[in-house]
Amino acid sequence: MDGQCCGPGFKSPQEAIKAPREKLLYTIAIYTGTGIQKPDYLATVDVDPDSPTYSQVINRLEMPGIGDELHHMGWNACSSCHDDGSMSRKYLILPGVRSNNLHIVDTATDPRAPRLHKVIDGAEIKAKADLSGPHTVHCLGSEIIISFLGNAKGEAPGGYLHLDKEFNIVGRWETSMGDIKFGYDFWYQPRHNVMVSSEWAAPNTFMPGFDLEEVGHLKYGRELHFWDFEKREPVESFYLGEDGLLPLEVKFHHDPDSTHGFCGAALSTNVIHWWQDDAKKWRWEKIIDVENEVHPEWPIPLPGVMSAILISMDDKYLYLNNWLHGDMRQYDITDPHNPKLTGQVFMGGLLGKAPIVNGVEVAGGPQMFQLSLDGRRLYVTTSLFSTWDNQFYPEIREKGGVMVMIDCDPENGGMKINEDFIVDFGKEPNGPSRCHESRYPGGDCTSDIWL
Amino acid sequence: MIMYTVTIANRDGAQYCVDARRPLLETLREQGVDLPFGCKYGGCITCAAKLKTGAIDQRRQVALNNRQIANGYVILCVARPTSDITLEIGVESHEKLYRNPFLDPLKPHELKADIATPKEG
Ligand code: FES
Repeated sequence: MDGQCCGPGFKSPQEAIKAPREKLLYTIAIYTGTGIQKPDYLATVDVDPDSPTYSQVINRLEMPGIGDELHHMGWNACSSCHDDGSMSRKYLILPGVRSNNLHIVDTATDPRAPRLHKVIDGAEIKAKADLSGPHTVHCLGSEIIISFLGNAKGEAPGGYLHLDKEFNIVGRWETSMGDIKFGYDFWYQPRHNVMVSSEWAAPNTFMPGFDLEEVGHLKYGRELHFWDFEKREPVESFYLGEDGLLPLEVKFHHDPDSTHGFCGAALSTNVIHWWQDDAKKWRWEKIIDVENEVHPEWPIPLPGVMSAILISMDDKYLYLNNWLHGDMRQYDITDPHNPKLTGQVFMGGLLGKAPIVNGVEVAGGPQMFQLSLDGRRLYVTTSLFSTWDNQFYPEIREKGGVMVMIDCDPENGGMKINEDFIVDFGKEPNGPSRCHESRYPGGDCTSDIWL
Repeated sequence: MIMYTVTIANRDGAQYCVDARRPLLETLREQGVDLPFGCKYGGCITCAAKLKTGAIDQRRQVALNNRQIANGYVILCVARPTSDITLEIGVESHEKLYRNPFLDPLKPHELKADIATPKEG
């Protein structure tokens, strides 16, 4: 799977693109906040079209307790350890946003049926590192850092937990949080000694649900932070203002020499682009602005809510979602200053443009997505976060989440919903669950970083 | 030890005797009531229930806004009873807990306590 070298991942993004097609996909599915008193779980989905169980959930690994709210996840190792024969991409780390527990799952012993390897207790993390509300997981050479959005009491800005490769708590990773007010996502580009982090809100603000009025009271973020990665401290911040309300997902180009990166500002529904200019100064600009839509019966115009973005492995396309409008979009970013819309499909959403996809009623809108390494298949799920789902899409309680596959054309651009694939999490054995982030065993488009 | 009786209206009026000094989530779960929860410190709303009668002390909660409090919601993981109470539990009690903020904005006095402004008039 991993090419000729002995460590995990691939020598370069170009090598990753040539990897064999994914056959399995892991996605988390939640019961937290749904009314079903069962643990959240890691679902294995069969994505091999030659398999008799194609487009079905073939395994469910339940977490030990209820109430975790699994959300994002990450690998113990990626292509940044490609030269290290002692490392392998064996473990998936599944944080519980509400419980603060970290679940370490072994996906290598039996990739179809992952097993729980270890749980780091949320209380231990609070006691040793004063952190809660875990979000993004990245490996760091052979070690792991995880952004947490709050301190032990759920107050911003939180910080970063450092784990060693045996998943022991080392402590806090960062030297300083500087003047950072909130945490969320981060990505780093080692050749430029830079990390960029973004801002959602304090756990105590976003966990109970979204009070729009709190944005005006500065309870939600609107800044991006540039870090000296080696010194582990923030050195420069960009105030994005109204253009950058709720700057969430952060992605650099996969090309390790590039300084270009992107962030989706969820509430403003804009894409922010940054790069280093010839004088080595970081610059930023807004490159995509999705207009609010007017809903016939609502007093306030409806933003798209761009909760995620993704860059194809060849750095040619940027994908984004509008969770409330219901569309997924593909932009050609060959010139990152001038993106061109090359594809758009609707699935669910509040505007009523695609209430049914492949025979399944979609509750929710496009939310999290993962792209195949070759850039041809985009797997999209519909649930954002239990409390936010309950506010915007209350029918998701009975209908559950859905996973859709979109065929993408990496040569000419364009996207189309695949008619042979749909996973209806409304039909799960314990009742409707909600699927969120997805990853492939061999690496994916949102985890690997090259040194 | 001060004890109070908790009646659960949507569980056929089942009754439990609980220690007044301890959070309701703990004392009810210990007696076998299946309740949702997440953070267990009053910050995430997952354990919210509706208080139908009686009184509780939930000063440590930080999840509810003033509208939710006015609608009777209580955060069981930090709430302690100060009298006999009747609760409605689980998501069946949540119909007024979640609102679409674009459809139904909060008034300034309905925000969370730390940013709310007093109601005029
Ligand atoms: S369990 Fe989170 S508020 Fe009670």
